[in-house]
Amino acid sequence: MKAHWFAALAALAWAPALLPTRAGAAGKGDAPAVHKITSKIALAPGALAPLPQGTKAAWSHGPYEEGNCGICHQRNDPKNPGPILMPTNELCYSCHEEFQALMRDREHKHKAALESCSNCHNTHNSRERKLLLADTKVLCLSCHDKTRKEIEGFKVVHAAINQDSKCGNCHNPHAANVEKLLFRLPFDLCVSCHSKDGMKDGDGKVLTNFKKWLDENPNWHAPVAAKDCSACHKPHGSNNFRLLGLAYPSQFYAPYDPKNYALCFDCHNDQILADPKTTTLTRFRDNDTNLHYLHVNKVDRGRTCRACHEVHASKQPHHVRDGVPYGPKGWILKINYTQTPSGGSCAKTCHATQAYDNRRGGGAPVDATKKRR
Amino acid sequence: MHRKNLALLSALLALARPALGAEVGDTVEEAQLPTLAGGKAPLVGGAKANVFVFAKPGQEHSRTTLVALARMEKQFAGKPVRFAAVVSDRFSPEEVGAFVRTTGFASPVLIDAGEALYSKLRIRLHPVVGVVDKRRKLLSLLPFTKLDYEPSVRAEIQFALGEITEEQLKRIRTPPPATQGGAANVAQRYLKMGERLFSVKDYPKALDSASKSLAHDPNLAAAHSLIGAIRAATGHCSEALHDFDAALALDPKDARALEGKPGCAGR
Repeated sequence: MKAHWFAALAALAWAPALLPTRAGAAGKGDAPAVHKITSKIALAPGALAPLPQGTKAAWSHGPYEEGNCGICHQRNDPKNPGPILMPTNELCYSCHEEFQALMRDREHKHKAALESCSNCHNTHNSRERKLLLADTKVLCLSCHDKTRKEIEGFKVVHAAINQDSKCGNCHNPHAANVEKLLFRLPFDLCVSCHSKDGMKDGDGKVLTNFKKWLDENPNWHAPVAAKDCSACHKPHGSNNFRLLGLAYPSQFYAPYDPKNYALCFDCHNDQILADPKTTTLTRFRDNDTNLHYLHVNKVDRGRTCRACHEVHASKQPHHVRDGVPYGPKGWILKINYTQTPSGGSCAKTCHATQAYDNRRGGGAPVDATKKRR
Repeated sequence: MHRKNLALLSALLALARPALGAEVGDTVEEAQLPTLAGGKAPLVGGAKANVFVFAKPGQEHSRTTLVALARMEKQFAGKPVRFAAVVSDRFSPEEVGAFVRTTGFASPVLIDAGEALYSKLRIRLHPVVGVVDKRRKLLSLLPFTKLDYEPSVRAEIQFALGEITEEQLKRIRTPPPATQGGAANVAQRYLKMGERLFSVKDYPKALDSASKSLAHDPNLAAAHSLIGAIRAATGHCSEALHDFDAALALDPKDARALEGKPGCAGR
């Protein structure tokens, strides 16, 4: 194969020809300023040389494969190709012109790509797809140290990080129109995968088909409607179940402690569970008796948010769920919520039918604490 | 994921609204509230773009938002934009003052006694930014989002000022996907490589590359004209004419075909 002898010569001849060019460019502090995190790759000796003879390349750059050194270098001589014809990115864009357009037009740009295509790509050949210098995740995390440390320390890691295109499942490594170089808004990305029946997490628990769920439940939680799954979930990993960014009780009952509800209080007003009386904090009140407080703020068996609310989307208003899995066998306890113009009622549920009226002026509040069990 | 399903979901999403009390299009009732600095100030004011934020001292998202609004105070300085923050009187003036100072936010901070305004507008979340026009019509009400919040708020203000069009605003609200690749791009790549090979007179390889380009995009006029140019250069003018005609049928302004065709005519 032509490429074999070519690789041997080029490994010796081309790498020294290229490396000083790149180091020189970095040293000059060309605009944009050389990104600190890219220097590790930029300084790796021989990183851009062709693979050694006998090494099987998964991808090979067309001009290199065909022995057309002169397309990129001054001479068409593999023994002595000379410097490249123009600055790296300019040279790449002369064929890969769509990248020039997207690097110019998109809102958010990867600094490493702006600096030099060869920060991530071997321009000759590679064991990795897309001529990458290393496996996608390894390559990304070799610079993105903070993310690497986070991922290594998480109890729960997002499976997408280790599947298919890995980081490239969600991030465009060149440029994007959404912050964090996301291909699309978080919701569109998440639902594009979480739209299958029978998908399971690492513990074998079946995950919701969100396409189906959201189609069937018209009342969407504000972050869902704002396409911001990352309001609650950490997309790389987390120490909380379901990749939640902060604490959120996983059970029906929990002793009340504001720390347990850190996730909800990240946006919602924590006073809603702290004040026994209110006329302003919530409409889930009977006259001024705060029914959120009454249900949740208990030292032993406070009902958690999930007891009544479906956090993604619901058929009922106020994200009130139809029923909640209760007990070890997951019996569905119906809530039977009915909304009224000035309040609502829950029927034959944890308690006998109870109604509340948030516009009622005076009088004894309904006893919403009366339990059936 | 099926594209049709995603499209349907996106359509449903467009109809879904965050569960907030005040609704876009409503007229916001003016309210005079006491300020942190003393005296009273209006919630809305009479500027072309009136921006209010319900913030919570000590909360990270509120801090981030006030820092972003402080940047916008500077960006829109001298323009008819008015900013105001609203905080609950549950927090002491000292606490509020210290919090706001860390953000650089310099506009009035209104004190919402008993969270009456918060309740009236049924805000429910912190932070939430509202943008109101001169007639007090609520143009947008944006609950905090982790990504692209600042550009979104900025765009709403620019739209209120008439600095950007509805189309531009829509693009910021729903950014186009950052896809890449596809047959058209691959075709372009083979075309460019073919052009480079042609320029160094490597005609067989140039022809091969241009043919691959056409295989990926048969409607790429430039690939047809490149093949024509290669054939003309190698003495196959009758075939080249056919290629030039194919290129001009797709793009009557294709320069290479226009230039090459007369040279081959009659040969």
